[in-house]
Amino acid sequence: MAVSVKYYTNRFIVITILIVMAVWALLFYAILMDEVYDNIDDGLKNQKIEIIREAYNSPEILENTKEFGINQFRILPVEHAAEDLDKNRFSKEFIYMPYDDEDEPYRVLRTGFYSKEGKPYSLEIRTSTVEEDDYLINLAISLAVLYVVIILSILLVNHLVLSRAWKPFRQTLDNLSRYRFGDTSSFETVPTKVKEFEELNKEVKHMIDRNEAVFEAQKRFLENASHELQTPLAITINKLELLMDDATLTESQLVQLSEAKGALHRMVGLNRSLLMLSRIDNNQYVASDLVDFSTVIKSLVDDLEDIASFKEVKFVVQEELKEFHVNFNRDLAHILLSNLLRNAIKYNIPGGDVLVTIREHEIEIANDSDSGALNPDYIFERFYKGSQDNHSNGLGLSIVRSILERQHQIKLHYRYESGKHCFVLEKVS
Amino acid sequence: MKVLIIEDEVELLRSIQDFLEREHFLVESADNYEQGMDKILNYPYDIVLLDIMLPGGNGLDLLRLLKQKNVNQSVLILSAKDSVDDKVLGLEIGADDYLAKPFHFAELLARIKSIVRRNTQHGDTIIQYQNVSLDMDNRIVKVDGQELQLNRKEFDVLYYFLLRPNKLLEKTTLAETVWGDHADQADNLDFIYSQIKNLRKKLKDAKAKLDIQAVYGVGYKLV
Repeated sequence: MAVSVKYYTNRFIVITILIVMAVWALLFYAILMDEVYDNIDDGLKNQKIEIIREAYNSPEILENTKEFGINQFRILPVEHAAEDLDKNRFSKEFIYMPYDDEDEPYRVLRTGFYSKEGKPYSLEIRTSTVEEDDYLINLAISLAVLYVVIILSILLVNHLVLSRAWKPFRQTLDNLSRYRFGDTSSFETVPTKVKEFEELNKEVKHMIDRNEAVFEAQKRFLENASHELQTPLAITINKLELLMDDATLTESQLVQLSEAKGALHRMVGLNRSLLMLSRIDNNQYVASDLVDFSTVIKSLVDDLEDIASFKEVKFVVQEELKEFHVNFNRDLAHILLSNLLRNAIKYNIPGGDVLVTIREHEIEIANDSDSGALNPDYIFERFYKGSQDNHSNGLGLSIVRSILERQHQIKLHYRYESGKHCFVLEKVS
Repeated sequence: MKVLIIEDEVELLRSIQDFLEREHFLVESADNYEQGMDKILNYPYDIVLLDIMLPGGNGLDLLRLLKQKNVNQSVLILSAKDSVDDKVLGLEIGADDYLAKPFHFAELLARIKSIVRRNTQHGDTIIQYQNVSLDMDNRIVKVDGQELQLNRKEFDVLYYFLLRPNKLLEKTTLAETVWGDHADQADNLDFIYSQIKNLRKKLKDAKAKLDIQAVYGVGYKLV
């Protein structure tokens, strides 16, 4: 699962600081203890020298200090003196301490010396030392507190600083999500003081420009290819027409020529639709004025009547309002409505109706059909063809979509209702 | 009638020339800007067919030049570009009409005739064939002097037949010229059949000495 960069870094900070502090605590403890013992040992050694000196000056203390008293040392006579009698031996022992009512750690120095008379004595000096376990616990507690404080302050700083630092990034993301292909002005770079984000901005802008250029080139290519096709098509069609004027042609020759010409005309139609698409996409229809859609519909219905009646399809125009004014390009309005009406005839059933209803805020074009509901995700795609359809070039509805994409006056909805395809043009208020 | 074709595609130029000569036009041609300018400025024509994209210059510039010199010349623009801007611009500069390539010869002929009719005295406003006369300007058809009531489409269909009697008129041509670009997506062009049937019946009832014959399902012919 992806987490925000803030939490992502925090995870590592928490673990790293934990490890660093643990290692540091161990080393610190070892060094400190070493230093403490060194100091205590030095003190004990110093005491030893003073005690031995005292024993030389006043030998009676040799007899009086056979037990630990307030002096915290004892001198005992030794029977058989070892070679290394005067060697210093340090050790740690637990001795009962009445104050704490428990055994406490003591540092003990065991050594020996020869008295003035040359008799060997052993000397034990002890001193209370640090309570290592308490010390360790205290150290651990203070380190834990320190750890928590450090982590919290890092998190806080991270939160504040990173939020601030990543703000332009989030804004860039925001702008990217708003960006629409073919509209360069929809992406704006975000001014930032962070170098990485500045680079990101620059790269995103570059990428968009490159893509737009490719897209633009593709559109131009489509337009140019369609243009270039027009002339050879025109030549071929016109040559065939000249040929067909020849009165000596037989029936089968004439039919074949006519079929060849028919195929060429389909190509011309396809080519025109592609040109139309690229022209719409290239915003060549810019001028707009107040167009009365209901007038356009009536003139189209008039034009299409013959084709419809041949297909036994009847136009029924219901006007709840006489006029339907939209600020629109006149040519595009004509193409838009013509495509929808032609589809309504083409995908109708014999004896069916094309029901055009003009209301205050919408125009509904409904036609009878036996094909079942269409998938609105696909029908507006280029070259998408329904199952029963072999004469269409599959561009009619994608032209409709292209027209509607470039304006904000009208929205198109599709629904299938009691055996009718309904295309509804709704005015956006 | 004298026609000048300015068109850089030689094959297309020859086809148009071929066709117009068969229709008894006097045809001259130019296949580049310079040549076109030379002819257009020195000789009068009943109509100039002008391609927009020419080697050596733009057809629209040629048109501008014509209008600057105040030459009152009928011009029909032929363009493969078929762009809205060009069309609007061309007509604004002063072209009489605009025809996008590829076109049907029947349509080219109809456009030429209607431009010439509008702009010159000797353009035929009335086409006479057998005992049928068709008045383009007033949209009246008469059989033996008796007016025959035709609807808009029937009138247009008859007009196209009368332009080229005895010649084959294909269904596709009729559909596209009379019914416009709505026809190209119609499932088939059989709807024309019922229209022709109605027209034939009207002509027959009016005792016109002409008839429309079907030609092998390819098209029709006026005889």
